[in-house]
Amino acid sequence: MREAWITGIGLLTALGPDRETTWRRLLAGETGIRPLTLFDTSGYRTHLAAQVDDAAFRLPPLPCQPDRHTSRASRFALAAAAEALADAGLPVSAEARNWALVLGGGTAGLFEAESFVARRLRGGPRVRGLGELVEVPQDSPSDRVARCFGLTGPRITVTTACSSSTIAVGIAAELVCDGDVPVALTGGSDALCRLTYAGFNSLRAVDPDRAKPFDRRRKGLSLGEGAAVLVVEEAEHARRRGARPYARVLGYGVTNDAFHMTQPEPSGVAWERTVRAALADAGVAASDVAYINGHGTATEQNDPAECAAYLRVFGERLASVPVSSVKGALGHCLCAAGGIEAAVTALAIARVTLPPTAGFAEADPACPVDAIPGTGRPGTPHVALSSSFAFGGNSGVLVLGSCA
Amino acid sequence: MSAPRIFVRSTGAVSAAGTGVEGLLQALADPAWQPQLGIERPDAPPLPVAACREFSPGDVLPPLVARRLDRPARLLAVAAREAIRQLGDPLPWARERVGVCAGTWNAGTSALLEVLRAVFLTSPEEAPPAQFPSTVANAPASQLGILEKLGGPNLTFAEKQVGGLRAVAEAGRLLARGRADATLACGVDEADWLNAEGYDRLGTLRTSAHPGMVLAEGAAVLVLACEPGPAPLAVLAGWGSASGPAAPHRYPDDPAPLVAACRQALERSGLAPGEVGLVVSLANGIPVLADLERHALSALFGTYRPAAVGTAERLGEGAVAGALRALVATHAVGVGASLAWEPPASLTAAGFPPATAPVRAALIPGLAGGGSAVALVLTAP
Repeated sequence: MREAWITGIGLLTALGPDRETTWRRLLAGETGIRPLTLFDTSGYRTHLAAQVDDAAFRLPPLPCQPDRHTSRASRFALAAAAEALADAGLPVSAEARNWALVLGGGTAGLFEAESFVARRLRGGPRVRGLGELVEVPQDSPSDRVARCFGLTGPRITVTTACSSSTIAVGIAAELVCDGDVPVALTGGSDALCRLTYAGFNSLRAVDPDRAKPFDRRRKGLSLGEGAAVLVVEEAEHARRRGARPYARVLGYGVTNDAFHMTQPEPSGVAWERTVRAALADAGVAASDVAYINGHGTATEQNDPAECAAYLRVFGERLASVPVSSVKGALGHCLCAAGGIEAAVTALAIARVTLPPTAGFAEADPACPVDAIPGTGRPGTPHVALSSSFAFGGNSGVLVLGSCA
Repeated sequence: MSAPRIFVRSTGAVSAAGTGVEGLLQALADPAWQPQLGIERPDAPPLPVAACREFSPGDVLPPLVARRLDRPARLLAVAAREAIRQLGDPLPWARERVGVCAGTWNAGTSALLEVLRAVFLTSPEEAPPAQFPSTVANAPASQLGILEKLGGPNLTFAEKQVGGLRAVAEAGRLLARGRADATLACGVDEADWLNAEGYDRLGTLRTSAHPGMVLAEGAAVLVLACEPGPAPLAVLAGWGSASGPAAPHRYPDDPAPLVAACRQALERSGLAPGEVGLVVSLANGIPVLADLERHALSALFGTYRPAAVGTAERLGEGAVAGALRALVATHAVGVGASLAWEPPASLTAAGFPPATAPVRAALIPGLAGGGSAVALVLTAP
């Protein structure tokens, strides 16, 4: 039976333009949530976000030349993919290779297209050419990455809102385990834009201050942006070339709560099904799980429902299973969130260190979890979960384990 | 362990030909039938979209239900109800084990434009909270899950023209992996001016001056399940997927990914190219795509020429177009539906004949802008 190993990670977040900077600052308990400068927020009720620092972000050397229509989201994806390939010790080239690409599809080029829409709606002058509309389709970053790095295998773009890239990682691992491809690049990329900023504000789901997952004082999420790309590789393929894996994808679960477009089923019974489906797919018991990288959006409704689901699965043992959320540090990166969190979970397994929940200080009885306040701590999560619960009730849970 | 057989158990559709599969097949079989084209947009002439002009959810969805759904969700819900109705009541499977796999090109765009209209013309604070959840492309599939209480995996794939075919292929994977007992594989697109204007600016829409595509609106549903289940219409025998380099708005220069996807689909189905009786063509009116398909099919079939039909030149292009082609293939191999209309001109010129006799196996190739290719093989049960 084939195994899917994570042998390379590329990360680009509000905490840093690469994997190591992000990881170091994450463990230090820092937050990337700060005043949003990407567009004018004076008309919005909130003004913070976990925006990628444009001053620190530079595209690494690529085998392709991004054109002027390459969106912010695609640039993030290209940077993360290049870092992941290099990290895995695989050629960062355009050489054709029958590998899969499975990404979570987010806003793609919407930030750029918004300028066009604003002009059109205001009756501005019409211009020729596709221009800012090139990357309106949500699979545009997938197209850019595949073209740049010569990926000729299946190219799949999953769009299930906030669980998109969690499910993408699951599908990628499945393609590897089924023998469809020896290697898959997977994860997701998403960029801040006016639509999501206004939309989540309209739902009153954004904390005017920084997000505080699992905390009694929480008032909502902080939006974020970024990208993660993971190299998921068939174990024998990795062994033959002496690759060093971070972790193994043991399995994943995916269900729908069939409850409400934006509200979670409050008892946790629906998300319990997702977690149990993931554990069953991975062939591990709940008692094997030693760490959970939670969805932890910091909205009033999400965090208790999520903890209720864990309580149903783990019972009293939940108190001894640390559950942290990176969204207090990296914001909610929407369709990239699951990929980023899978990457962080893999790093936690490989480096036997658990990341904290930035922003968490005061426990909430409705969220009875050890949320790892302050800074990262040593831990040996041989088996860990990475959970995502999305708009429309689309839930995905990954089970990652050590390769030892 | 051998892979389980995956059957198409029922179908449903809403298209420019109206609501229902029967009306769709009748319209396609009528060589004189053409949809009325056109979608309004701000301060500019209409663009060619084959919209579902006569669509009304009222006969199928209670008014209070219909009111809370946006248009693509309504289209999908009505198509799904047609498919579900054929399965019996109660469903043969626990609803918790029934999934949804949808492909879409542009679902959510109209809602997106409504939110942005408020942001840009009034104030960000006036963004309508009821519209925002509909801006996500997975809203139609999620709304369907909520409406029908389907608790299985609920996935949406945004892959432009091949989204619908991807949804069918991934629904097959979910079933093969035992992640669901049945899955509604769907394509859904809405008529929106932003998407249409993008392709108009690219020069790929059909005009009186040059050939091109029209965009589709509608929804198509194929209910897939292994055993048990009601009498099957067809077997999802295989699927394949590959890709080639291209910018997001361009087709690749080389038909290789399309050939690779078709070969994988045939290999998975255990069929040789000579056993394919029908190709449901991807031709959409864009000459460069027709050329790519013609070269790909020539590489695949050599001198052999199965029958061919096309639907996208009349029904329009989009993620739903692929699902509609799979639906048409289902009825061709399953119940011998007559598909004896002329193949696309590019395939006729290459010697592909019309489908005048019953067929046992159909190939449905797909290629998206950006270079992603997906192919399906459907066979008689």
